[in-house]
Amino acid sequence: MNAHPTYFRILGTVALALLGFFLPRFLGGSSHVYDTLGTIASFSAMSYGLDIILSDLGEISLAHTAFFATGAYASAILSVDYGQGAWVAMAGAVLAALALALVLGLITLRTREFAFSLVTYAAAVVCMNIAANWDFLGGSDGIVGIPPLALTIGPLSFAASQPPQFWPFAYGLLLLTLYVVHRFRRSRLGQAALMVHMNPRLASMCGVDGNRVRLLVFLVSAPISALAGWLYAFQRAYVGTDLFDTYFLVLMLTGVILAGRRLLLGPLLGTALLVGQKSFFSLGAYGDKLVLGAVLVGVLCFCPKGLASLWPRAPGRALRQM
Amino acid sequence: MFTRRQLMAGVALSAAVPMRARAAAPIKVGLIVPLSGGAGRQGQDVANAVQSMATLINDAGGVLGRPLELLVRDDESTPAIGVAKANELASAGVAVVLEGWNSPVTLAMQPILARADVLDITMISKADPILASAANPLAIRLNSANAEDATVIASYLKSRMASGRLVFVTENDAYGNGAQHGIEEEIKRAGLSYDIAKTLKFPFPQTDFRVEVTTIHDAKPDAVIAIDANEGAGLPAFLQQYAQAKVGAPLICTVGTVSPSVIETAGAAANGLISADIYFPAAEPFASNSENKRFIAEMQKQFKTTPDKYMALGAASLEVWAKAVAKVGSLDRKAVAGAIRGHEIPGTIFGDVRFSANGQMAHHYAIFTVQDEKIVVQN
Repeated sequence: MNAHPTYFRILGTVALALLGFFLPRFLGGSSHVYDTLGTIASFSAMSYGLDIILSDLGEISLAHTAFFATGAYASAILSVDYGQGAWVAMAGAVLAALALALVLGLITLRTREFAFSLVTYAAAVVCMNIAANWDFLGGSDGIVGIPPLALTIGPLSFAASQPPQFWPFAYGLLLLTLYVVHRFRRSRLGQAALMVHMNPRLASMCGVDGNRVRLLVFLVSAPISALAGWLYAFQRAYVGTDLFDTYFLVLMLTGVILAGRRLLLGPLLGTALLVGQKSFFSLGAYGDKLVLGAVLVGVLCFCPKGLASLWPRAPGRALRQM
Repeated sequence: MFTRRQLMAGVALSAAVPMRARAAAPIKVGLIVPLSGGAGRQGQDVANAVQSMATLINDAGGVLGRPLELLVRDDESTPAIGVAKANELASAGVAVVLEGWNSPVTLAMQPILARADVLDITMISKADPILASAANPLAIRLNSANAEDATVIASYLKSRMASGRLVFVTENDAYGNGAQHGIEEEIKRAGLSYDIAKTLKFPFPQTDFRVEVTTIHDAKPDAVIAIDANEGAGLPAFLQQYAQAKVGAPLICTVGTVSPSVIETAGAAANGLISADIYFPAAEPFASNSENKRFIAEMQKQFKTTPDKYMALGAASLEVWAKAVAKVGSLDRKAVAGAIRGHEIPGTIFGDVRFSANGQMAHHYAIFTVQDEKIVVQN
């Protein structure tokens, strides 16, 4: 009886994924379109790292720029200073982010809400200052000369230096991130995280170790943002301390909040609205900031569950169910 | 002597060249500068200057018989936005991008433009890796380099005092740290005996320097070296707070950070500061340069302003590129860069300018002070 709905859901998801892949072509196929959509995909992946902490653990982490930057810096150092390929750089990005997340997770285990946000913000500031003043990380000059992305899978080789060539990698990373987040929310860890967030007493009575869950969720979240940093480093060919800037933090937070929390496609839609507006319908820097501020105030005051809550119920439910 | 018919034909031809240039498909020229935020005013000034130079070039027949069309974008002093704008302009099919107020933004945009095979000319950003990066082997920069600037400051210090205590107030980024490193190296090289009492680092957007100024006061330095490229807000604020605190030690601002707009904003607080620069529109050799006079007249006509160094660098970037294109008869990135790097470009608003093999334009410096809110050139 349930086979048909599942079959159709898988078919629908595959069709949607294919449609998404060809979206740049439908939008004209210019290099600008590919770059914008590739940036949306990369920055969405970055936002999903924060989304897990914000939506599932209920905490506002201000350290996710550090994970994003860690992924980018690890990739840059391994590829520029040690001549390693993109796969090694990817592994390095994930391992470095895990190490940082472990330290940060242990430090913030006993902090909640405001204190958690403050400690994570302080951690990001410390990381930025280390990066700006340590020659090994390029100091204030950053690291230049990151080669074009080149990945080899068996006999197949893929290379990317231009926006249209980057698109499949960015889109692939986005799909992978969506799958991981989807699986996480259905996993025991995801359910435990939600319980720790929504009802810590019940979680404790059920024998769920809240601190352990928080640490594990941190360890799942950090590599997601770091992988986005890995790709962004190759996309931009330069990493610098600007990766810790509030620009990325505001983008992540707004991307998560705008469409609505704990929606699988929420951060993607939020990031697409933000980056798309700036890229295709820009009103200038001041105009864009006014639009962003007005939209944020409007969303937080009039539909705190996000823009997706304005849509009819069925599509909203569909978004959640995916 | 020309006959009347020859003269008429000549007049008709000269009038026809610009018309033909305007009829041909325009060459798109990209310009990426900050048009908002702390450096927004200066970025807008640079955009105006480039527009003036484009008008002069178009009125003279364009480039390769085609008019120039300027596409201006705001990088918001943010590398990520600069990258997006560089991609956007590359996609729009520009032949060249003139860019660069902040070094980190330039460093982020360089590889994007190089990968898109678009010639990239850095107008103002000063960080050393801009010319050293393998990401852009055809780099070209018009503003003076940190290393040259450092030599000028060290020479000035040497002429004033053989030893003493220095305090650095340094913008903590690629430009600021590079500039300080360069000055320290030059001081060592000159064999001067200076004690660096304090190094106070601050982020680019900072405008509240009360803590730094108090620290400087307590350090009792013989001279203070300020490295702050935030001319829209940061440097004027520092000058005002420094004057209010009555520190007393001579204040030396690094080369090229004190534009007329800084003095206008800081007011009397700018009096007494010492700096050096590479362009003074009313001083020789610029005052008698016919190209410079044409440029100043166009700026007066279009924007009712006298250009400062940054505006001159912006306009000269377009002028140098246009002359190189005319010389090689092509818009090809490598050919045009090859005609600039390691060569002399005659007849620009900076005079006959020479570029070193790494793409750096050479300059002549002059020390100046500010008296009664006016720049007074010393040599």
